[in-house]
Amino acid sequence: MVGIGFRRDFAAALLQGERIKPDFIEFAPENWMNIGGYWKKQLHKAVEQYPVLCHGLSLSIGSPEPLDMDFLRYVKSFLEEYQVQLYSEHLSYSKCDNAHMYDLLPIPFRRDAVQHISGRIGQVQDYLQRPLVMEIVSYYTPVAAEMSELDFIREIVKTSGCQLLLDVNNIYVNAFNHGYDAREFIRQLPLDKVAYIHMAGHEQVAPDLIIDTHGQPIIDPVYELFDWTAQRLHPVPVLLERDYNIPQLEELNGELQRLKNICQQHWHARYETVS
Amino acid sequence: MKLSAETYKIQQDFSHFIRTGRQVKIPGVRPAAMAHYRRLVYNVVKDTLETGFPIAFANLPRKKWERMVYQFFSTHTCTAYQVWKLPLDFYTCAVENSWEEKYDIPYLHDLLSFEWAEMELFNMEDVPPPAYVATGSWLLDQLAFNQEYRLLQLKYPVHRETSRRKILQQQGAYFVLVYRLPDTGDIHFTELSPWLAFVTEQLLAGITLTDILSYAPQLNIAVTPALQEDTIAFLRYLQEKQVLLGFINA
Repeated sequence: MVGIGFRRDFAAALLQGERIKPDFIEFAPENWMNIGGYWKKQLHKAVEQYPVLCHGLSLSIGSPEPLDMDFLRYVKSFLEEYQVQLYSEHLSYSKCDNAHMYDLLPIPFRRDAVQHISGRIGQVQDYLQRPLVMEIVSYYTPVAAEMSELDFIREIVKTSGCQLLLDVNNIYVNAFNHGYDAREFIRQLPLDKVAYIHMAGHEQVAPDLIIDTHGQPIIDPVYELFDWTAQRLHPVPVLLERDYNIPQLEELNGELQRLKNICQQHWHARYETVS
Repeated sequence: MKLSAETYKIQQDFSHFIRTGRQVKIPGVRPAAMAHYRRLVYNVVKDTLETGFPIAFANLPRKKWERMVYQFFSTHTCTAYQVWKLPLDFYTCAVENSWEEKYDIPYLHDLLSFEWAEMELFNMEDVPPPAYVATGSWLLDQLAFNQEYRLLQLKYPVHRETSRRKILQQQGAYFVLVYRLPDTGDIHFTELSPWLAFVTEQLLAGITLTDILSYAPQLNIAVTPALQEDTIAFLRYLQEKQVLLGFINA
């Protein structure tokens, strides 16, 4: 299944289902929970029409302070109300000293952080009564690291029992920014834990820095990395992320189709994974 | 908490830089990349506030606006986990820090309050109205209101003026009913006289128009047939606008 992020910019077209027709949609609970009025009606139509996966923004699993249980209560109720099949979040933090910062900040790759985060993932999984799927985020600088990114991720997966969201563009971005081999990095991940894939575009802002913007089309090397990765994975849902510079829908549909072709080529009959 | 004090401090330092832009040394961090984090985060905050307060952003002096945004994000603990609620944090910060005086914009809180009310109403959860019937007595029945409204009391006419000079010239007492249309979700507002604001407030509290009219002399308001007719005409207007939905027959 290949899906797309449900955005207000092209919600009407998604609901019409003519110019663009993904297999599923994904949205951030934070952008839709506890709302009413016009957009709640649109949301109801969307969930009647498409299977739904959710990708959170504000859990801030890497924050030093305790988890926000009020927030989690809302998330749980939202996931149940809309029968969300998969809930993913980011291996990062967006809040410190209880102040939200609305973006994904890099966690220090340190042993105490592994323990801290694994405990919190376990807490969330117990509370939500479902596995948490953690995205390996793009990052632009290491922060006081005492272990490699790869070891950090593998330790968290092993200790917490979480699943992984493999954002192939993020791996490409990180490999470029931090000078490692993307394929070798993916090869060493616990690939049996990958439950979801994201694909997106990015922007190079300096000779040695790429920013993960979700504002450009996916580039060929990222498609190639996805093609290579798909051959090493069991079938999982794949999402096209496009948050800014929204192009003509035909262009987005073209990207969806290209992703579907790669999935079909490698996953054949095992293609359906979201019930 | 399994996090060491050292790692906690590193995260605090990083976050402090993101919020203030003041350089801090953290082992292993590339300053140029750190600056990109600051830019990305700050753009989200700026864009959200410009979208949430379009009138304030378009009409307040740009330098003052930028100073407010900077002060807000660097000092205020943003509690909203939903980014669309960030403007409420901004408005709260303005009130807590007396920005009307600090920035010499006496109508600032009114303007932020009005714009936040529109944003809040547009997004707020649906609130079911009480059970009602379509016909009844304007005078004797309790009235059923659309619950998606805010009744604002303002010192300045920020809902109909944008020029600083004109706003300041018209300091007074203004009452504005902001509401969400049930069918489309669009936000509308209407200015009320002090009397109609009082009537609306009392009706919303479940008092009948007859009881409100009986109380009016205590407010030094002479109840005349014209006042009663005008008040009922106003209620009919609210009904047309879907603010007033019908009659509650106890």
